[in-house]
Amino acid sequence: MENRRINKQAKIVGNVEIRPGIFVMTILCPEITTSSSAGQFCMIRPGNIQGLDPLLRRPLSIHLTDQEKGHVQFLYRVVGRGTRALSRQLEGEFIEVLGPLGRGFQVGEDEIPILVGGGLGVAPLLFLARQLVGRRAIVILGAITKSQLLRLEPFRETGLEILVSTEDGSFGNQGLVTEVLDRLLSRLEDEAKANVTIFSCGPYPMLRAVYHLCSVHGVRCEVSLETTMACGSGLCLGCAVKAKDGGYLHVCKDGPCFRAEELAW
Amino acid sequence: MTSHTEKEKKEPDLKVKLGPLILKNPVLLASGTCGYGKELKDLIDLKRLGAIVVKGISLEPRKGNPPPRIHETPCGLLNAIGLENVGLEAFKNEKLPWLREHKLRTIVNILGNSVAEYQKMAEGLSGLEGVDAIEVNISCPNVKEGGVAFGTDPRAANEVTRAVKGACDLPVIVKLSPNVTDICEIARAVEDGGADCVSLINTILGMAIDIEKRRPVLGNVFGGLSGPAIRPVAVRMVWQVARTVKIPVIGIGGISNFQDALEFLMAGASAIQVGTATLVDPGASEKILTGIVDFMVRNNYSSIGELKIRD
Repeated sequence: MENRRINKQAKIVGNVEIRPGIFVMTILCPEITTSSSAGQFCMIRPGNIQGLDPLLRRPLSIHLTDQEKGHVQFLYRVVGRGTRALSRQLEGEFIEVLGPLGRGFQVGEDEIPILVGGGLGVAPLLFLARQLVGRRAIVILGAITKSQLLRLEPFRETGLEILVSTEDGSFGNQGLVTEVLDRLLSRLEDEAKANVTIFSCGPYPMLRAVYHLCSVHGVRCEVSLETTMACGSGLCLGCAVKAKDGGYLHVCKDGPCFRAEELAW
Repeated sequence: MTSHTEKEKKEPDLKVKLGPLILKNPVLLASGTCGYGKELKDLIDLKRLGAIVVKGISLEPRKGNPPPRIHETPCGLLNAIGLENVGLEAFKNEKLPWLREHKLRTIVNILGNSVAEYQKMAEGLSGLEGVDAIEVNISCPNVKEGGVAFGTDPRAANEVTRAVKGACDLPVIVKLSPNVTDICEIARAVEDGGADCVSLINTILGMAIDIEKRRPVLGNVFGGLSGPAIRPVAVRMVWQVARTVKIPVIGIGGISNFQDALEFLMAGASAIQVGTATLVDPGASEKILTGIVDFMVRNNYSSIGELKIRD
């Protein structure tokens, strides 16, 4: 698939508040549906911002694409001025979009992917789950409590095996996603483990725990990171994160999906 | 169909002369906001622009400052990247060939820790095919040694300029810091040192505090402020410097649209650089160029120089 970036205004075809403060925006942007892969992101600027404040575009993971309709979806939480403006946009209005950007998840043909998502971290994983339809793959979704569990239905529609945990036990297993993952990996023979790769996105402490678990079990792991970005395209070098080798990696071009062992945890 | 009464609109002459450096138009990409060019290749037509000023390079590679490196402020961006760059050798071997192949007018921004280092950089770039000019960065606020230390002292600024000028056969632009009491004094010093041109302004030193964590936001504590927030300061400084030195001035500072660019060209700049706006919208520079041309046609300006306010 050719990874060609576009920079244009795209029409909003939906912007739905699925939970308080959490939205799914759908835009019409056929170019991105044919050039993107799971784990990549776009830089978004709400079209309803008057003037130059807030100034920067916001990075949002691609949540899902629909090639037939030319639709691209983003799952986002209102955290500041940029996302608040975005949340107020209506169907028929426009946003500026630059994408697809960055390195997505790299899934090998013969491996068994296990997707681990916490909270809003399910955003890039639904796209990945959709790409894995028909394959042997497992999805572990977690949240603090049932009401914060996101997008369970679309994940179920993929037909993949879904395991759910909530920290307060209000839905699915009681506990952390890492506990579910640990039990799952502990049941596997070493031979089976060699074929497994974990793909994870969520809060940083969760990612660190997932990586730690993968190291213990000797399982490959990719994580999707989130940072503040200015350009999203390798121009400003502002989105640096510490690398294992003492240098820096850039979330926008080396990531956002990294092989976890490349990073300094 | 054109009516007989309407004045004939001629395509304006966009050419600009920056000392010995002649560019086809006055819109340049600012250092640190356009990578080494290639990063933008599929997003804009780089050939349309006057020139690109590549990410500042140092003699040795630098890994840059610890994160967080950027922070958004009202109409602005604070950054403390710390001049992360590939170093002179890798630039020559890995970055320059692409720029040369695509025949892009390339200005190389250089930074050193000492006068000797600036001199070595100039020697290393001299005579290289594909390098059109050097922009001497004596104004980066985000590195410990060098950089701004040379940009705030007229004698040191003069010395660095002389050293670079003496070490190469390239047009030399010196990029000035606004973090001084009198920018005209520094401009005069680099003009005396033989600079062919000055560019201004670099970022304004600033900082932000995370009140929840009760600590500075940036890993480097201080950072450089850029974006529309600093534009009026930059326009004022360009106005002053253009009336102080005889060498051409390149205006930089928060240019986001063609109107902003025209302010600088009217204040006395011979060309402008687009920086932070490219980070927000990679296509900003092309839109600015188109806007300048349309404005000149609409108002019957025939050359960039005509835009300058004479007093």
